[in-house]
Amino acid sequence: MGSVERSKKKAQLWKKAMLHFSLCFVMGFFTGLAPTGKSSFFTNKVGVSNRTTQVAPQPSTQILSHLKTNVNNKSWVDPKASSIQTRTTKKMDIESLPQLKHRRLVIIVTPTSTKLPFQAVFLRRLANTIKLVSQPLLWIVVEAKTESTEFPEILRKTGIMYRHVVFTEEFTDLEAELNHQRNLALKHIEHHRLNGIVHFAELSNVYDLQFFQQLRDIEVFGTWPMALLAANRKKVIIEGPVCDSSHVIGWHLRNMNNETEALTPPIHISSFAFNSSILWDPERWGRTSSVQDTSQNSIKFVKQVVLEDEAKLKGIPSEDCSKIMLWRFNFRTHISIH
Amino acid sequence: MSFWKWGLVVLLFGGFFFTIGAVELGRNQPTERISGSAGDVLEDDPVGRLKVFVYELPSKYNKKILQKDPRCLTHMFAAEIFMHRFLLSSPVRTLNPEEADWFYTPVYTTCDLTPNGLPLPFKSPRMMRSAIQLISSNWPYWNRTEGADHFFVTPHDFGACFHYQEEKAIERGILPLLQHATLVQTFGQRNHVCLKDGSITIPPYAPPQKMHVHLIPEKTPRSIFVYFRGLFYDVGNDPEGGYYARGARAAVWENFKDNPLFDISTDHPTTYYEDMQRAVFCLCPLGWAPWSPRLVEAVVFGCIPVIIADDIVLPFADAIPWEDIGVFVNEEDVAQLDTILTSIPPEVILRKQRLLANPSMKQAMLFPQPAKPGDAFHQVLNGLARKLPHDRSLFLKTRDKALNWTAGPVGDLKPW
Amino acid sequence: MKLSALQQSYLNRRSNSFRGSLESSGDGTVKSPASVFWIVVHGVCCLISLVLGFRFSRLVFFFLFSHSSTNLYTVPFRTASEIAVDSNPVTTVGNPANVTTTTLPLAAGSTSRVVVGRHGIRIRPWPHPDPVEVMKAHRIIERVQREQRALFGVKNPKTVIAVTPTYVRTFQKLHLAGVMHSLMLVPYDLIWIVVEAGGVTNETASIIANSGLRTVHVGFRQRMLNSWEGRHKLESRMRLRALRIVRKEKLDGVVMFVDDSNMHSMELFDEIQNVKWIGAVSVGILVHSTNADEASSLIQREDEVEAMMPVQGPACNATNQLVGWHTFNSLRYKGRSAHYIDDRAPVLPRMLEWSGFVLNSKLLWNDGDDKPVWVKDLDALDGEIESPLSLLKSTSMVEPLGNCGRKVLLWWLRVEARSDSKFPSQWIIDPPLDITVPSKRTPWPDAPPEHPSNEKVLIGSQAQANKHSTKTKTPRSRRNRSKRKHDIKVIGVQVSTRSEEH
Repeated sequence: MGSVERSKKKAQLWKKAMLHFSLCFVMGFFTGLAPTGKSSFFTNKVGVSNRTTQVAPQPSTQILSHLKTNVNNKSWVDPKASSIQTRTTKKMDIESLPQLKHRRLVIIVTPTSTKLPFQAVFLRRLANTIKLVSQPLLWIVVEAKTESTEFPEILRKTGIMYRHVVFTEEFTDLEAELNHQRNLALKHIEHHRLNGIVHFAELSNVYDLQFFQQLRDIEVFGTWPMALLAANRKKVIIEGPVCDSSHVIGWHLRNMNNETEALTPPIHISSFAFNSSILWDPERWGRTSSVQDTSQNSIKFVKQVVLEDEAKLKGIPSEDCSKIMLWRFNFRTHISIH
Repeated sequence: MSFWKWGLVVLLFGGFFFTIGAVELGRNQPTERISGSAGDVLEDDPVGRLKVFVYELPSKYNKKILQKDPRCLTHMFAAEIFMHRFLLSSPVRTLNPEEADWFYTPVYTTCDLTPNGLPLPFKSPRMMRSAIQLISSNWPYWNRTEGADHFFVTPHDFGACFHYQEEKAIERGILPLLQHATLVQTFGQRNHVCLKDGSITIPPYAPPQKMHVHLIPEKTPRSIFVYFRGLFYDVGNDPEGGYYARGARAAVWENFKDNPLFDISTDHPTTYYEDMQRAVFCLCPLGWAPWSPRLVEAVVFGCIPVIIADDIVLPFADAIPWEDIGVFVNEEDVAQLDTILTSIPPEVILRKQRLLANPSMKQAMLFPQPAKPGDAFHQVLNGLARKLPHDRSLFLKTRDKALNWTAGPVGDLKPW
Repeated sequence: MKLSALQQSYLNRRSNSFRGSLESSGDGTVKSPASVFWIVVHGVCCLISLVLGFRFSRLVFFFLFSHSSTNLYTVPFRTASEIAVDSNPVTTVGNPANVTTTTLPLAAGSTSRVVVGRHGIRIRPWPHPDPVEVMKAHRIIERVQREQRALFGVKNPKTVIAVTPTYVRTFQKLHLAGVMHSLMLVPYDLIWIVVEAGGVTNETASIIANSGLRTVHVGFRQRMLNSWEGRHKLESRMRLRALRIVRKEKLDGVVMFVDDSNMHSMELFDEIQNVKWIGAVSVGILVHSTNADEASSLIQREDEVEAMMPVQGPACNATNQLVGWHTFNSLRYKGRSAHYIDDRAPVLPRMLEWSGFVLNSKLLWNDGDDKPVWVKDLDALDGEIESPLSLLKSTSMVEPLGNCGRKVLLWWLRVEARSDSKFPSQWIIDPPLDITVPSKRTPWPDAPPEHPSNEKVLIGSQAQANKHSTKTKTPRSRRNRSKRKHDIKVIGVQVSTRSEEH
């Protein structure tokens, strides 16, 4: 071999080796950057720097939107697969896992008002029912700001996981007040991006406990028949859907004998439930608008969404929703049914 | 040639180990904490074990400042005031400085509040300097040890560094005049320039009376899994995010706001104290400083403190078994908080709750008026007593003075 | 420079040896140990640079996290290219050492993990809350609450024997469900004796079967009466029937009278554990003023009711001695109270309701050794007793409970539909598919009006003004309903119901 050829070959090999090394180095470098999930064996060893990063010089508000797009999309894609993945890496005590049945979160919203008679008594009764519902459950109780500690006292003795939301606005109209409270609760859900089935439980409601199991089966929207009981009446008023299996095919409506308005008679707010993610992740449900875009009135928003997509409405119980599991007792005398 | 190849191998391996070493620097230390059994040390009676001489300073160093802003009495830094009041009437006080083991200088350096109640420590160094100048010229005891048998209560965020921003505080360091003195401070973080060896870490002041009023029966079922009320982002002081709480609080919010088990919010409800009493875990993440009043509140209300503040030095860590009553979560592990907390065996949780229920634990966290046996005052005295007797080498001869009276920023040298 | 020189010389050697090994493999001779060594060294070097690279990346981000002035949000699972684009590591790669020295005055010789300055906000990407962890957390809470009960609750609790008279009627489910839920929450052993007027029915049985409680369901031959007076009397006899069961079965525990029109605070069940022989608690009376016709007087009356909830129960003096009874003052309702279930007037309680009393079941036993002498025998009563006080020879033995009656722990509310009221059997509706008029719209309350161009709303003729309100809507043009098998219908209120057996 000529010395020229030889040195050329040398240089070639030199380059090759350098390439190997640098390739390995780069590989190592990016391995270091690559996500390790939690508790890959490096996490404990390598202090602070065990995270990949993203340059995003923006304050907190933008983090939210960033999260919305990045994190959640991911989670919707395949929540099960990734949760399994994390679970295995998290090394949890596996022997206890089988007994734990996953259940969907139920979010119960209860507005209150000093205009309602004996609300503390009914709150206790409702609490006794809610306490029996299997976990996970979150109870959001809304109350006007008051000096009285009666409600917090009642609530904390129940042992239910609740959030006590307080408002300062004053209302003369009861329905407006209750609506405001429901909106406040929905805002709480939206702000926290709580994921569950939202149901409005009025203080005068009485439940069959099976109702809450059925509630968990709702994917998007659910509705059910409800009986309204009033004292000294001969008739029981039943409102709600008529179903063919869980498919809503019609409605039981309240008597509207002197109805002149061009509106369908309302069904009660307690007779439907919806998936809370509609509030904070409308894209998931194929919607472009969110609550902020349309109005601040979350209730209105939810209703509108339901209106526009009745196909997603599920009647419960799923066997042709003919079983009444929720009764409303009309205690307030001034809202009497004619 | 063989020299080259070995040289290369050595270089590569050396580099390898060096790199590892450099990273290792950043990793957690084995946490060493003296976890004595709670009962023993906490119930020590300091009386008879030490004598404290309280300097009499002009009221401009203490009482007058308090008169200007009575809010200092309810502030979380109020320990400096109550400690003074306590010592004045304590049986450990001696009026004869010759027999004193410890000298206390009653100077309220943290009682300079902004209109919205935040303390500004800008004048504190000058004030402290002025007080030390005064005692060193009026009494012979300071010069004897250059303050080694003196203790000062400096409850501000970063103690005697006297700045609320950590970077600035570090830059400043502990006031040079306090180099030898023992500091009684709320700030505690291992290997931090603002925590010198031998300091006594105390709990922040939380109003005992107010907390007592809000106590609810212990049988009230705990129905909150994780509770936290406070800031997640300090938008005013940290608009970019990431400095405040080293990003840990922001991470708590971003990761767990959607978790119904995490009752976290910035609202401060009227039922705050009651809610803590019906929570299983109470988050105590660092803020600007590693400590917060939540530590005290959690212990008093029997809620297991989840301490998120790397290398924190906790109040009376030599007497309170923090490892046993609390949960420690590394700042970098905040995103796994739910996994960490739910994988604690229930028996361990119940044990922590039982330990927390120990009244001596709660008492040690409080500065009650009047003082009660085993309270935080007594724990401070216990801490001081345990440092006795002083090492004879502390007592200097006049010629080897080490204290540099002109050290530190020029601004601090101005008279107060 | 030096490094490259070193490497060059090393590579010279290596390329030689590589060639050597290749050549030697050709003729099958044994590889020289030197060549093997160099292959190994090459591999090791590759490995080392891999590790170096890995470590280096960590280092880079270690310093980047701590000192970079850019905001670092942690988003793992990002691809390498993204990171390369985003975080421009080159800028920080150059001077990690500088960074340490300038902004970390404590770094030298320090072993703290904590670095001053900017930190990343760690956000994990996987979905959470993790359902398994949620369940674990709830299990922890449950365990904690159980422990609290064990520590601070009643020690050695007695069995609670709840006695409930009931009968099938419209409001039965509503009332009974509330009471049943309270009983289901009781953390002590509990036996529920349900006495049903008119005999045992499936209707009642199906309600109480869902409770999962130990129940004794017995029928009472006589039908429930239509007058309030008669109902009270019959209910007293039904309760006595239950007490005879307690005596016969020698049930041991605290007997309480759980009316199906009661509402309970859970503290009541703890409080009654304190009873020695017979105790009395205060009952809050909720007087329902019904749907009075005159709307004008309604508000006033409601205020009146709200202002003070009458309470009946033991009255104590300042030293917690029982001095008498708060009874319900019916004078305010004179002439306005209901006599029959159908009456549209407030239903009033008795002077003292049974539900305000609890007894030790041993009071009822025939041969209790320590049975007090001041108690009458059950059989000595003629069935017509007003309250459990009639069981006693002297009312002075009654122990007032609930902070001597100051704490109201249960409430009484009696509301009924008309006796001829109909409701679906077991509340299962027979869907009457015949009376339907198509509707394309979910009747949401306060639904925002649709665009007028899209929809016309017609109000159907009201054939039966009081019964049906039928509405017709033209199908909304933009909605495609072809996938549905049926049209949406509106059905009148009166669904088919099974008349209640009486």
